[in-house]
Amino acid sequence: MLKKISISKYIAYLYLIMLCVIWVIPVLFGISTSFRSQAEVVSTGFRLFPVNWILDNYVTILENTSTAPILRWLSNSVFIAVMHTFLVLVIISVTGYGYSRMKFKGRDTLFFTLLGISFFPGVVNIIPSYKIIDVLGWVNTAWAMIIPGLAGMGNIFLVRQFLRGIPTELDESARVDGAGDFRIYFWVILPLIKPILIVCGLFSFVGSWNDFLWPVIVYTDVDKMPITAGLLLLQDIYGNYRMIGQLMGSAMLAIIPTLLLFVFAQKYFIQSINLNSGIKG
Amino acid sequence: MKAKKMALIMVVLILGSMTILAGCGSGSDKNTITFWTPLTGDDGAYMDQLVKDYNATEPEFKIKHVITADMYTKISTVLNSGKGVPDLAIIHADRVPGFVKQGVLEPMGAAISGQPEITEANYLPQAWATGNIEGTQYTVPLDIHSNTMYYNKDLLKQYGVESFLDDDVVTIEEMLSLQGKMEPDQYVVNDALLGWVIMAQIQNLGGDIQENGKPAVNTPVMKQAFEEVKKIADAGLMTPFGEDGYLMFQAGNVLFSTDGTWSSTAHAAVEGLNFGVTNIYSATPDKFTNRASSHLFAMLKNDQRTDEKEAGVGAFLEFIRENSLEWAKAGQIVASKQVIESPEYDQFMQSFFTSNEKEVESLYIYTYEYYPYVAEAVDTYCADIVRGNVDLDETLATMQKFVEDKIAESSGAAGTP
Amino acid sequence: MMNKKSIAPFVFVGPHLILFLIFILIPTLYGIYASFTQWNLMNDPVWVGMANYKAILFDESSTFHNQFVNGLSNTLIFVGISVPLLIVIPLSVAVALEHKKVRMKGFIQALLYIPGLISISAAALIWLLIFNKQLGITGNLFHSQAAWPATQPYAWIIIFVITVWGGVGGNMIIYRASIAGVSRDLYEAAEMDGAGAGRKFISITLPSIRFPLIFTFVMTTAGAFNVFGQPLMMTDGGPRQTTHVLMMYIRQLAFGHGESIAGMASAMAVLLGLVILVISALQYYVMNRNAH
Repeated sequence: MLKKISISKYIAYLYLIMLCVIWVIPVLFGISTSFRSQAEVVSTGFRLFPVNWILDNYVTILENTSTAPILRWLSNSVFIAVMHTFLVLVIISVTGYGYSRMKFKGRDTLFFTLLGISFFPGVVNIIPSYKIIDVLGWVNTAWAMIIPGLAGMGNIFLVRQFLRGIPTELDESARVDGAGDFRIYFWVILPLIKPILIVCGLFSFVGSWNDFLWPVIVYTDVDKMPITAGLLLLQDIYGNYRMIGQLMGSAMLAIIPTLLLFVFAQKYFIQSINLNSGIKG
Repeated sequence: MKAKKMALIMVVLILGSMTILAGCGSGSDKNTITFWTPLTGDDGAYMDQLVKDYNATEPEFKIKHVITADMYTKISTVLNSGKGVPDLAIIHADRVPGFVKQGVLEPMGAAISGQPEITEANYLPQAWATGNIEGTQYTVPLDIHSNTMYYNKDLLKQYGVESFLDDDVVTIEEMLSLQGKMEPDQYVVNDALLGWVIMAQIQNLGGDIQENGKPAVNTPVMKQAFEEVKKIADAGLMTPFGEDGYLMFQAGNVLFSTDGTWSSTAHAAVEGLNFGVTNIYSATPDKFTNRASSHLFAMLKNDQRTDEKEAGVGAFLEFIRENSLEWAKAGQIVASKQVIESPEYDQFMQSFFTSNEKEVESLYIYTYEYYPYVAEAVDTYCADIVRGNVDLDETLATMQKFVEDKIAESSGAAGTP
Repeated sequence: MMNKKSIAPFVFVGPHLILFLIFILIPTLYGIYASFTQWNLMNDPVWVGMANYKAILFDESSTFHNQFVNGLSNTLIFVGISVPLLIVIPLSVAVALEHKKVRMKGFIQALLYIPGLISISAAALIWLLIFNKQLGITGNLFHSQAAWPATQPYAWIIIFVITVWGGVGGNMIIYRASIAGVSRDLYEAAEMDGAGAGRKFISITLPSIRFPLIFTFVMTTAGAFNVFGQPLMMTDGGPRQTTHVLMMYIRQLAFGHGESIAGMASAMAVLLGLVILVISALQYYVMNRNAH
């Protein structure tokens, strides 16, 4: 048996290391490119490390912001992403509980109807969506970024599916003890779905942080923009004029906050919760 | 009972938050002119500087410059909701006929009536004319930005072909003379903005993209334009299909690059690239054309814009006319004659295109109402045609149909329900 | 008692229902309405009945018909190949990471997740340089004479490479979180019975995570149908429009140069929505039935 474990260990290692190498090379290449001059990029091409390390790309990016309040943008983004993520977690856990643990007429029909509707690609929807935001008076405000995304079905679907995989013994025994839905939701279900909520929170945070199509439409005020919309105003030129080093530099700067969050959050979503022993024990 | 109460609280919270959050919408300031531009990146910074300089003159109406990354979609959203329509905007030349037909542009007349210098005579003629639809002036130009051909000075010398530049027109025939003489991995010309180059050849060959208002894509001239450019690719002198010819030029492996006035700053940032600028190559020695567009000041329909504010717009445009040398830094050909005739303008590479009458005439702006659809068809199919991946006659017929189908679906089409 | 029962569900699903109504249902209905009109996004839509659908579905000479057919078949190719990859690779990674003896799990996980955070324009540039004939590895390492973005099947291959590279992270962490919830006791009991890694995966892991698995299948498929960034940036739909996916045509019609043809774009979007609906319903039905 011991031997078996060690063979499968090597297979697992081999596979993971192979993937990691393939995955990390383009990332390293991207980082190293952000430290190269345009002349070097166009003449030497694919090299993991620059011939001459330069900081000019980053200097240009950061200097370019003389008219752009980059710190302001960062704090706007943090506010938006944190608020959005918090509200998403409240909404999806409550709603997911409703669609999987509560019994009411037409529950599954309602759920699948909503899910089906959300599958229609929203192409021209940007016009009515803007009108709605305008009627609510949210143009140029953070609410235009925080609230509409709460209506999404994806995370609710995930929570519902996750909850379906959890046996109902625990909440039934709580119900027998006289607990109502709110108490069951809060004291029984919420702790059980913590890992998947962390995953959803991560998705929401990253999604909200990286969204740039919608903020471009709802913001005109430079001071209120989130960082992605703001940087787009500056960065577009690197794409259009193909200043490769600068494009890479700004892309690498932009992933730092979400990467830090991931490193912090990953401890929690792989926490083993050991459901079955909890029930049986 | 408890559940009912909770339900009530939930609903109140949601509706409450929505109404509380409402009402902080931005009312447009009475004494500010909101000015939208699609000028992202450095271009926006140069325009910002111009706006700052203007506001420093303490005008009655100050300008608030708003750069947007997706301006045309944004224009659609505000026109639909009827609120937040900007007082002034910069739009591209090919948008003018469509916007006028859809009735979303305000004529410039009232705004510039108090500005005696804002007249046709003081701007590059085609830049001014592109905003004139049936006798009404809808725009005032900022610049012309054009397809141009950069050349690598060192490579021209190496191959001993500096004579190509003598008469300001590099012909396809001259380029073909290099067949068989190129070092491995070096090419005569790249395929950057290939669609624009094709559009230039149509003019060089004496053709057009319309006949009596109907699109003319499947024509002998279009066919000839493609065949002429295809000769370069067939001779193996064009950078290979699917390779980044723009970067290959920057790497010093291509003699000519057919990109835009605006890339001169990017090329200049490449160390060791010794380059100059000339006209787009031509299928004939008699004529050369640089397909161009223009950034134009325009006013979208907006009932809340007062006459006084329009006069304020006029004052700003006059300031731009006098002071847009700053804009030349973006690489563009400034439209104001006062600026391009000033000695300081000569330091900019693009002054080449206003150095004589013939050069000015070479900057060609298509004003056909459905030009964008024609350009889209050419852009979609040109690479495959020039590389010989598709049958030319068949593809031209497809392109003609492509444009006609799109026109039939646009609102301006005659006889639609 | 009765009263409480009828109100309580609304408390749980009601708030979201209101949000859904305002921010998804109304815009979606408007989009469906627009598909029956001729509209340029600026003026008021003009009702044309079924004309857009007729042109797209039945008029074989119409440009829009050809775009729809070509776009949809390219999209189906993309879905058919990318979805299995985006399920199998993350799942195998999650299982391998679950191995007791594997160290540095967090580090490996973070490495595989990073590409998903990089903006598509930067990611495309990275891969285009890697796949560049002169500058990259395809010429030097594979001795390939073809320019990959302009030659099939390489054009598809580079689209799949960037998609998988950037896309495995999301499903991977869903599987990680789900597998972490599976009881250790089950595995230990199986090991006592002498079950190997393969047996444990088939008889314990897969059944335990079946519901999240259904989720990833349905949502990954729906997402893949909406693809446009990767082909747009990597191949621009070429060569000969063989990687031109439907969403690219839809976006060009609605937001391209020249006057918007948003009614036609909406009709294509509605048809795409119906395709997604049918396929995801089938997926859900088949997998859910097998899960019981």
